[in-house]
Amino acid sequence: MSLENQTKLAIYRHFAETGQRPSLQTVAERVGSDVSSVRDAYSRLRAQRVLALEPDGESIRMAPPFSGVPTQHIVIVDGTSFFANCGWDSFGIPAALHRPGRVHSRCEQSGETLDLEISEEGPLPCDWLFHCLVPAAKWWDDIVFT
Amino acid sequence: MLFFRSEERVREWCGQHDYPMRPLVTMDQLWALATTWYSTRLQEDSRRPQPDEMRSIFAGLGLRDGFWDPQSDRFG
Repeated sequence: MSLENQTKLAIYRHFAETGQRPSLQTVAERVGSDVSSVRDAYSRLRAQRVLALEPDGESIRMAPPFSGVPTQHIVIVDGTSFFANCGWDSFGIPAALHRPGRVHSRCEQSGETLDLEISEEGPLPCDWLFHCLVPAAKWWDDIVFT
Repeated sequence: MLFFRSEERVREWCGQHDYPMRPLVTMDQLWALATTWYSTRLQEDSRRPQPDEMRSIFAGLGLRDGFWDPQSDRFG
């Protein structure tokens, strides 16, 4: 397997196991490579749109659906708490883990709390809505805003 | 990419921020998108859907508006 793929899996599996972003050093140790090579792999993963980095070029802001920083979208799966990047990604975490979970978020306009159970077959009946402001062709122009 | 309690709350939010109102997505449609995008994300051979696949996924869920076209230049 390429270092790029090993790096991607190491990042995602760390998130899945801990709910937290791994450091560059942790990923390098996990794949048995040096920090410089792993940093280069990060750049290639960014180009593939599976990773978004902080301005320092090594702290993980997003490994969708996981967020490396706290957000308003919190997902609980098997007792572990995860931050999601957006509403879509809050559903993406139980989907990626293939486990039931619970999504805690809010209505962006009223502030009303969303507390939604997700079974392995999907969300329980719920009439809330999801709204995406940025058109699909522009999502990665500024993925944090999106 | 946010949650709203109702269409009326979306309309209020867009109006207050002078944002255009976009197509709305139900929770069931969102689950379908989430599973399509992410169910293989922790696997070795996972990859993000390519533009043609994205169009097909969105169309399959009834999201046919150009807004969902990953290569559209209709939207600023």
